[in-house]
Amino acid sequence: MSTPISELLDAETVQSIADEVWPTLVGDGEAFVPLPVAPPAEAVSAWVDIRGPWNGSVVLTCAPATAAALTESVLMTRPPTVVDDEDVKDALGELANVLGGNIKSVLPGESRLGLPQIGSAPPTGSLDDVCRVAGQWRGQFLTITVQGAAVAPHAERIEEKPL
Amino acid sequence: MKILVTDDSRVMRQIVIRTLRQAGYDDHDIVQAEDGAQCLAMVGSESPDLVLSDWNMPNMSGIECLEALRASGSQVKFGFVTSEGSPEMREKAANAGALFLIAKPFNEDTFKDALDGVIS
Repeated sequence: MSTPISELLDAETVQSIADEVWPTLVGDGEAFVPLPVAPPAEAVSAWVDIRGPWNGSVVLTCAPATAAALTESVLMTRPPTVVDDEDVKDALGELANVLGGNIKSVLPGESRLGLPQIGSAPPTGSLDDVCRVAGQWRGQFLTITVQGAAVAPHAERIEEKPL
Repeated sequence: MKILVTDDSRVMRQIVIRTLRQAGYDDHDIVQAEDGAQCLAMVGSESPDLVLSDWNMPNMSGIECLEALRASGSQVKFGFVTSEGSPEMREKAANAGALFLIAKPFNEDTFKDALDGVIS
């Protein structure tokens, strides 16, 4: 079994990456605040997979309304312009992609990053293979979870991942 | 000059174009491609002066596109804008003929640092 993420990465590192990503991607003065709030009734996740010495995913989870607000902020849209579902998938996926790319770069060894995916978060692996920062953006629930794969992928699947 | 912005994310293409303008490069023609394969075709059809490309894309990645361009004899100026900026990737990009690699997240200063001297 590979080294669990809890020994490779800490919440402070994840937060420092979010501190760089939020103002540049979400907007000036925007921040991901690591203070947990109650989870929403409905949630949506965007994630990218990391394949290498450590296998797992970087998952961003929030309420659908928060995802839409994030998209408006990323795209700097102003009323009456509205964002559609494709924009939301794209923007949330890119946020997960940039977080994932930066998290991958602090992990040891050479890894590959998958393409962004959207939906219900993938299942987590063992409990010690999770690094989660529960927090908020503009007062709304948002978490960044770096979680091990539920089942280790076969070697041939690694070859299928595009660079 | 003409700049070809390549990224499978429409949102990211929009952010790259916005950042180009914020960095002061607002007097250029911008064309867009959705993946490496489309980028490769558009370098032929659009004759851009510079390609700004994501690395990780479906169909054809940015590095595959750059390698195909150089193999075909194209010497178009090429730089990456990607969420991964490891030393290995920077080396691979440079060896393939990329002028620079901008890691996401970026801002207008990052663009200026990479593009000054590249964009006239």
